Amino acid sequence: MNQTLKHEYPSAPDDRLVAWAQGGDPEAFEELVHRHRDKIYARAMIMMRNEDEALDLSQEAWVKGWQRLVQFQGESSFATWMTRIVINLCLDQLRRHKRMRAESIELMEEEGGGVERHLPVVHVNPTEGMEKEELRKRIDEAMDKLTDAHRAVLVLHEFEGLEYKEIAKKVGISIGTVMSRLFYARRRLAGLLQGLKRERSE
Amino acid sequence: MKDTQVILDLQAYVDGELDTARRAEVERLLTGDAEARELVEGLRQVARLIRDHEPTSAVPETREFYWSQIQRRIAAQESQTSRPQPAAAAINWLRWLAPALGVAAVAVVLAMPKKELSGQEFAEATTMTFHSDADGLTLHWIE
Repeated sequence: MNQTLKHEYPSAPDDRLVAWAQGGDPEAFEELVHRHRDKIYARAMIMMRNEDEALDLSQEAWVKGWQRLVQFQGESSFATWMTRIVINLCLDQLRRHKRMRAESIELMEEEGGGVERHLPVVHVNPTEGMEKEELRKRIDEAMDKLTDAHRAVLVLHEFEGLEYKEIAKKVGISIGTVMSRLFYARRRLAGLLQGLKRERSE
Repeated sequence: MKDTQVILDLQAYVDGELDTARRAEVERLLTGDAEARELVEGLRQVARLIRDHEPTSAVPETREFYWSQIQRRIAAQESQTSRPQPAAAAINWLRWLAPALGVAAVAVVLAMPKKELSGQEFAEATTMTFHSDADGLTLHWIE
Protein backbone atom coordinates (compact mmCIF):
# COMPACT_ATOMS: atom_id res chain seq x y z
CA MET A 1 0.00 0.00 0.00
CA ASN A 2 1.61 3.28 -1.02
CA GLN A 3 1.19 6.64 0.71
CA THR A 4 -1.32 7.92 -1.85
CA LEU A 5 -3.70 5.07 -1.27
CA LYS A 6 -3.55 5.49 2.49
CA HIS A 7 -5.70 8.59 2.09
CA GLU A 8 -8.34 6.41 0.53
CA TYR A 9 -8.87 4.13 3.54
CA PRO A 10 -11.64 6.10 5.25
CA SER A 11 -13.61 6.57 2.04
CA ALA A 12 -12.94 3.17 0.47
CA PRO A 13 -15.85 0.72 0.44
CA ASP A 14 -15.55 -2.46 2.51
CA ASP A 15 -14.93 -4.73 -0.48
CA ARG A 16 -11.93 -2.67 -1.56
CA LEU A 17 -10.50 -2.65 1.97
CA VAL A 18 -11.07 -6.40 2.15
CA ALA A 19 -9.19 -6.89 -1.12
CA TRP A 20 -6.27 -4.81 0.15
CA ALA A 21 -6.27 -6.66 3.46
CA GLN A 22 -6.38 -10.00 1.65
CA GLY A 23 -3.24 -8.86 -0.12
CA GLY A 24 -1.59 -8.50 3.31
CA ASP A 25 -2.26 -4.84 4.06
CA PRO A 26 -2.81 -4.56 7.85
CA GLU A 27 -3.75 -0.88 7.64
CA ALA A 28 -6.69 -1.67 5.39
CA PHE A 29 -7.74 -4.30 7.92
CA GLU A 30 -7.39 -1.77 10.73
CA GLU A 31 -9.82 0.50 8.88
CA LEU A 32 -12.31 -2.39 8.70
CA VAL A 33 -11.86 -3.02 12.42
CA HIS A 34 -12.47 0.64 13.16
CA ARG A 35 -15.53 0.71 10.93
CA HIS A 36 -17.25 -2.35 12.38
CA ARG A 37 -15.80 -2.76 15.85
CA ASP A 38 -18.87 -1.41 17.68
CA LYS A 39 -21.22 -3.77 15.87
CA ILE A 40 -19.03 -6.80 16.59
CA TYR A 41 -18.57 -5.77 20.20
CA ALA A 42 -22.30 -5.10 20.61
CA ARG A 43 -23.14 -8.56 19.30
CA ALA A 44 -20.72 -10.13 21.77
CA MET A 45 -22.16 -7.95 24.52
CA ILE A 46 -25.74 -9.04 23.80
CA MET A 47 -24.68 -12.67 23.92
CA MET A 48 -22.36 -12.60 26.92
CA ARG A 49 -23.77 -9.75 29.06
CA ASN A 50 -20.29 -9.04 30.37
CA GLU A 51 -18.04 -6.23 29.21
CA ASP A 52 -14.71 -8.02 29.72
CA GLU A 53 -15.85 -11.17 27.95
CA ALA A 54 -17.39 -9.15 25.14
CA LEU A 55 -14.20 -7.18 24.66
CA ASP A 56 -12.04 -10.30 24.72
CA LEU A 57 -14.26 -12.22 22.29
CA SER A 58 -14.66 -9.29 19.93
CA GLN A 59 -10.88 -8.95 19.69
CA GLU A 60 -10.50 -12.68 19.20
CA ALA A 61 -13.05 -12.44 16.40
CA TRP A 62 -10.90 -9.83 14.63
CA VAL A 63 -7.84 -12.05 14.99
CA LYS A 64 -9.77 -14.93 13.42
CA GLY A 65 -11.10 -12.56 10.76
CA TRP A 66 -7.57 -11.59 9.79
CA GLN A 67 -6.39 -15.20 9.76
CA ARG A 68 -9.33 -16.41 7.66
CA LEU A 69 -9.62 -13.40 5.43
CA VAL A 70 -8.49 -15.32 2.34
CA GLN A 71 -11.56 -17.54 2.80
CA PHE A 72 -13.92 -14.57 2.58
CA GLN A 73 -15.33 -14.58 -0.93
CA GLY A 74 -17.99 -11.90 -0.51
CA GLU A 75 -21.05 -14.22 -0.33
CA SER A 76 -22.32 -11.95 2.45
CA SER A 77 -21.24 -8.50 3.57
CA PHE A 78 -17.98 -8.30 5.46
CA ALA A 79 -19.85 -7.14 8.59
CA THR A 80 -22.19 -10.15 8.42
CA TRP A 81 -19.22 -12.47 7.97
CA MET A 82 -17.56 -10.94 11.03
CA THR A 83 -20.70 -11.16 13.17
CA ARG A 84 -20.93 -14.87 12.36
CA ILE A 85 -17.37 -15.30 13.62
CA VAL A 86 -18.04 -13.49 16.88
CA ILE A 87 -21.34 -15.33 17.40
CA ASN A 88 -19.55 -18.67 16.99
CA LEU A 89 -16.92 -17.63 19.51
CA CYS A 90 -19.64 -16.57 21.96
CA LEU A 91 -21.47 -19.89 21.54
CA ASP A 92 -18.21 -21.78 22.11
CA GLN A 93 -17.58 -19.76 25.26
CA LEU A 94 -21.11 -20.34 26.56
CA ARG A 95 -20.76 -24.05 25.90
CA ARG A 96 -17.36 -24.18 27.55
CA HIS A 97 -18.78 -22.60 30.68
CA LYS A 98 -21.87 -24.80 30.45
CA ARG A 99 -24.07 -21.74 30.23
CA MET A 100 -26.19 -23.24 27.44
CA ARG A 101 -27.70 -25.90 29.66
CA ALA A 102 -31.01 -25.86 31.50
CA GLU A 103 -29.64 -23.65 34.22
CA SER A 104 -32.87 -22.27 35.58
CA ILE A 105 -36.28 -23.27 36.70
CA GLU A 106 -37.65 -21.11 33.90
CA LEU A 107 -35.91 -23.15 31.25
CA MET A 108 -36.92 -26.45 32.79
CA GLU A 109 -40.54 -25.32 32.95
CA GLU A 110 -40.43 -24.16 29.38
CA GLU A 111 -38.94 -27.40 28.12
CA GLY A 112 -41.49 -29.33 30.15
CA GLY A 113 -44.17 -27.69 28.02
CA GLY A 114 -45.37 -25.05 30.46
CA VAL A 115 -44.55 -21.99 28.41
CA GLU A 116 -47.93 -20.68 27.47
CA ARG A 117 -49.45 -21.00 30.92
CA HIS A 118 -47.03 -18.59 32.52
CA LEU A 119 -47.08 -15.51 30.34
CA PRO A 120 -49.89 -13.60 28.73
CA VAL A 121 -49.97 -12.52 25.13
CA VAL A 122 -48.89 -8.91 25.12
CA HIS A 123 -48.94 -6.13 22.60
CA VAL A 124 -46.29 -3.51 22.82
CA ASN A 125 -46.74 -0.32 20.93
CA PRO A 126 -43.40 1.44 20.65
CA THR A 127 -45.06 4.69 19.73
CA GLU A 128 -46.85 4.85 23.09
CA GLY A 129 -44.66 7.14 25.10
CA MET A 130 -41.24 5.66 24.43
CA GLU A 131 -38.50 7.10 22.28
CA LYS A 132 -36.59 4.73 20.02
CA GLU A 133 -33.36 5.01 22.00
CA GLU A 134 -35.13 4.50 25.28
CA LEU A 135 -36.92 1.47 23.94
CA ARG A 136 -33.61 0.07 22.68
CA LYS A 137 -32.19 0.46 26.17
CA ARG A 138 -35.23 -1.21 27.73
CA ILE A 139 -35.00 -4.13 25.33
CA ASP A 140 -31.35 -4.50 26.27
CA GLU A 141 -32.26 -4.54 29.96
CA ALA A 142 -35.03 -7.08 29.32
CA MET A 143 -32.54 -9.25 27.39
CA ASP A 144 -30.44 -9.31 30.52
CA LYS A 145 -33.25 -11.11 32.32
CA LEU A 146 -33.33 -13.97 29.82
CA THR A 147 -31.20 -17.04 30.36
CA ASP A 148 -28.14 -17.45 28.11
CA ALA A 149 -29.89 -20.29 26.30
CA HIS A 150 -33.00 -18.25 25.50
CA ARG A 151 -31.08 -15.14 24.57
CA ALA A 152 -28.78 -17.05 22.21
CA VAL A 153 -31.71 -18.42 20.23
CA LEU A 154 -33.40 -15.03 20.13
CA VAL A 155 -30.25 -13.26 18.91
CA LEU A 156 -29.58 -15.88 16.25
CA HIS A 157 -33.13 -15.59 14.96
CA GLU A 158 -33.90 -11.89 15.24
CA PHE A 159 -30.51 -10.29 14.66
CA GLU A 160 -28.62 -12.88 12.67
CA GLY A 161 -31.70 -13.84 10.65
CA LEU A 162 -31.02 -17.57 10.89
CA GLU A 163 -33.69 -20.18 10.19
CA TYR A 164 -34.76 -22.69 12.83
CA LYS A 165 -32.68 -25.51 11.36
CA GLU A 166 -29.57 -23.32 11.17
CA ILE A 167 -30.00 -22.31 14.81
CA ALA A 168 -30.55 -25.94 15.83
CA LYS A 169 -27.31 -26.94 14.12
CA LYS A 170 -25.30 -24.04 15.53
CA VAL A 171 -26.50 -24.44 19.11
CA GLY A 172 -26.70 -28.24 19.04
CA ILE A 173 -30.37 -28.59 20.00
CA SER A 174 -33.47 -29.92 18.25
CA ILE A 175 -35.67 -27.72 16.04
CA GLY A 176 -38.48 -28.23 18.57
CA THR A 177 -36.30 -26.81 21.34
CA VAL A 178 -35.37 -23.86 19.12
CA MET A 179 -39.07 -23.15 18.60
CA SER A 180 -39.99 -23.37 22.26
CA ARG A 181 -36.99 -21.30 23.41
CA LEU A 182 -37.76 -18.66 20.81
CA PHE A 183 -41.40 -18.53 21.81
CA TYR A 184 -40.59 -18.32 25.48
CA ALA A 185 -37.95 -15.62 24.93
CA ARG A 186 -40.31 -13.46 22.87
CA ARG A 187 -43.12 -13.68 25.34
CA ARG A 188 -40.84 -13.12 28.30
CA LEU A 189 -39.42 -10.04 26.61
CA ALA A 190 -42.88 -8.80 25.69
CA GLY A 191 -44.03 -9.38 29.27
CA LEU A 192 -41.08 -7.40 30.63
CA LEU A 193 -41.76 -4.53 28.25
CA GLN A 194 -45.45 -4.57 29.06
CA GLY A 195 -44.61 -4.26 32.75
CA LEU A 196 -42.43 -1.31 31.93
CA LYS A 197 -45.23 0.39 30.07
CA ARG A 198 -47.55 -0.07 33.03
CA GLU A 199 -44.87 1.38 35.35
CA ARG A 200 -44.62 4.46 33.15
CA SER A 201 -48.36 5.02 32.92
CA GLU A 202 -48.93 4.77 36.69
CA MET B 1 -55.55 -22.17 26.09
CA LYS B 2 -54.12 -23.56 22.91
CA ASP B 3 -52.13 -26.72 22.58
CA THR B 4 -48.35 -26.06 22.66
CA GLN B 5 -47.87 -27.54 19.19
CA VAL B 6 -50.53 -25.23 17.72
CA ILE B 7 -48.87 -22.24 19.41
CA LEU B 8 -45.47 -23.20 18.02
CA ASP B 9 -47.01 -23.70 14.57
CA LEU B 10 -48.51 -20.22 14.77
CA GLN B 11 -45.06 -18.89 15.61
CA ALA B 12 -43.53 -20.86 12.73
CA TYR B 13 -46.19 -19.29 10.50
CA VAL B 14 -45.13 -15.81 11.62
CA ASP B 15 -41.47 -16.72 10.97
CA GLY B 16 -42.19 -18.13 7.51
CA GLU B 17 -41.00 -21.58 8.52
CA LEU B 18 -44.03 -23.68 7.48
CA ASP B 19 -44.35 -25.69 4.30
CA THR B 20 -47.22 -24.91 1.92
CA ALA B 21 -49.63 -27.52 3.29
CA ARG B 22 -49.14 -26.59 6.95
CA ARG B 23 -49.32 -22.90 6.13
CA ALA B 24 -52.70 -23.44 4.48
CA GLU B 25 -53.91 -25.30 7.59
CA VAL B 26 -52.79 -22.47 9.85
CA GLU B 27 -54.48 -19.90 7.61
CA ARG B 28 -57.71 -21.87 7.83
CA LEU B 29 -57.39 -21.90 11.62
CA LEU B 30 -56.79 -18.17 11.70
CA THR B 31 -59.97 -17.33 9.79
CA GLY B 32 -62.14 -18.82 12.50
CA ASP B 33 -60.08 -18.37 15.67
CA ALA B 34 -59.77 -14.92 17.21
CA GLU B 35 -57.38 -16.12 19.94
CA ALA B 36 -55.01 -17.53 17.32
CA ARG B 37 -55.17 -14.28 15.34
CA GLU B 38 -54.37 -12.30 18.47
CA LEU B 39 -51.39 -14.52 19.23
CA VAL B 40 -50.07 -14.19 15.67
CA GLU B 41 -50.41 -10.42 15.82
CA GLY B 42 -48.69 -10.30 19.21
CA LEU B 43 -45.80 -12.43 17.98
CA ARG B 44 -45.40 -10.30 14.86
CA GLN B 45 -45.33 -7.17 16.91
CA VAL B 46 -42.77 -8.34 19.42
CA ALA B 47 -40.53 -9.78 16.70
CA ARG B 48 -40.64 -6.47 14.81
CA LEU B 49 -40.02 -4.55 18.00
CA ILE B 50 -36.90 -6.56 18.82
CA ARG B 51 -35.52 -6.40 15.29
CA ASP B 52 -36.07 -2.67 15.00
CA HIS B 53 -34.44 -1.91 18.33
CA GLU B 54 -31.33 -4.03 18.39
CA PRO B 55 -29.31 -2.99 21.44
CA THR B 56 -26.10 -1.18 20.60
CA SER B 57 -22.82 -0.89 22.51
CA ALA B 58 -19.64 1.00 21.77
CA VAL B 59 -16.19 -0.45 22.39
CA PRO B 60 -15.04 1.17 25.65
CA GLU B 61 -11.50 1.72 24.33
CA THR B 62 -9.82 4.09 21.93
CA ARG B 63 -9.28 3.09 18.31
CA GLU B 64 -5.51 2.90 18.78
CA PHE B 65 -5.58 0.87 21.98
CA TYR B 66 -8.18 -1.59 20.69
CA TRP B 67 -6.22 -2.16 17.47
CA SER B 68 -2.91 -2.50 19.32
CA GLN B 69 -4.38 -5.32 21.39
CA ILE B 70 -5.60 -7.10 18.26
CA GLN B 71 -2.21 -6.61 16.60
CA ARG B 72 -0.48 -8.10 19.63
CA ARG B 73 -2.72 -11.16 19.54
CA ILE B 74 -2.17 -11.64 15.81
CA ALA B 75 1.60 -11.38 16.29
CA ALA B 76 1.51 -13.82 19.22
CA GLN B 77 -0.48 -16.38 17.25
CA GLU B 78 1.69 -15.99 14.16
CA SER B 79 4.87 -16.51 16.15
CA GLN B 80 3.29 -19.56 17.78
CA THR B 81 2.47 -21.14 14.42
CA SER B 82 5.92 -20.37 12.98
CA ARG B 83 7.69 -21.81 16.04
CA PRO B 84 8.61 -25.51 15.54
CA GLN B 85 6.27 -27.85 17.37
CA PRO B 86 7.85 -30.20 19.97
CA ALA B 87 7.52 -33.26 17.70
CA ALA B 88 9.04 -31.42 14.76
CA ALA B 89 11.86 -30.18 16.98
CA ALA B 90 12.63 -33.75 18.07
CA ILE B 91 12.82 -34.86 14.41
CA ASN B 92 15.19 -31.98 13.66
CA TRP B 93 17.42 -33.05 16.53
CA LEU B 94 17.42 -36.63 15.23
CA ARG B 95 18.45 -35.36 11.81
CA TRP B 96 21.48 -33.70 13.34
CA LEU B 97 22.26 -36.62 15.63
CA ALA B 98 21.82 -39.36 13.04
CA PRO B 99 25.30 -39.06 11.43
CA ALA B 100 26.93 -38.97 14.87
CA LEU B 101 24.95 -42.02 15.96
CA GLY B 102 26.00 -43.84 12.79
CA VAL B 103 29.67 -43.07 13.39
CA ALA B 104 29.34 -44.16 17.03
CA ALA B 105 27.72 -47.45 15.98
CA VAL B 106 30.55 -48.18 13.53
CA ALA B 107 33.14 -47.33 16.20
CA VAL B 108 31.50 -49.72 18.66
CA VAL B 109 31.49 -52.52 16.08
CA LEU B 110 35.15 -51.92 15.22
CA ALA B 111 36.16 -51.83 18.87
CA MET B 112 34.52 -55.15 19.64
CA PRO B 113 36.89 -58.18 19.84
CA LYS B 114 36.98 -59.86 16.47
CA LYS B 115 35.57 -63.34 16.37
CA GLU B 116 35.08 -65.68 13.47
CA LEU B 117 31.46 -66.62 13.11
CA SER B 118 30.87 -70.30 12.80
CA GLY B 119 28.41 -71.44 10.14
CA GLN B 120 25.69 -71.97 12.74
CA GLU B 121 26.24 -68.58 14.42
CA PHE B 122 26.15 -66.92 11.01
CA ALA B 123 22.84 -68.60 10.26
CA GLU B 124 21.46 -67.35 13.59
CA ALA B 125 22.59 -63.76 13.04
CA THR B 126 19.72 -61.32 12.65
CA THR B 127 19.74 -57.97 10.93
CA MET B 128 17.44 -54.97 11.17
CA THR B 129 17.36 -52.08 8.76
CA PHE B 130 15.79 -48.69 9.37
CA HIS B 131 15.49 -46.22 6.52
CA SER B 132 13.99 -42.74 6.60
CA ASP B 133 13.64 -40.83 3.32
CA ALA B 134 12.67 -37.71 5.22
CA ASP B 135 15.87 -37.77 7.25
CA GLY B 136 18.07 -39.23 4.48
CA LEU B 137 19.18 -41.91 6.92
CA THR B 138 19.70 -45.69 6.75
CA LEU B 139 20.71 -47.74 9.79
CA HIS B 140 21.64 -51.47 9.69
CA TRP B 141 21.68 -53.37 12.99
CA ILE B 142 23.38 -56.83 13.06
CA GLU B 143 23.16 -59.16 16.06
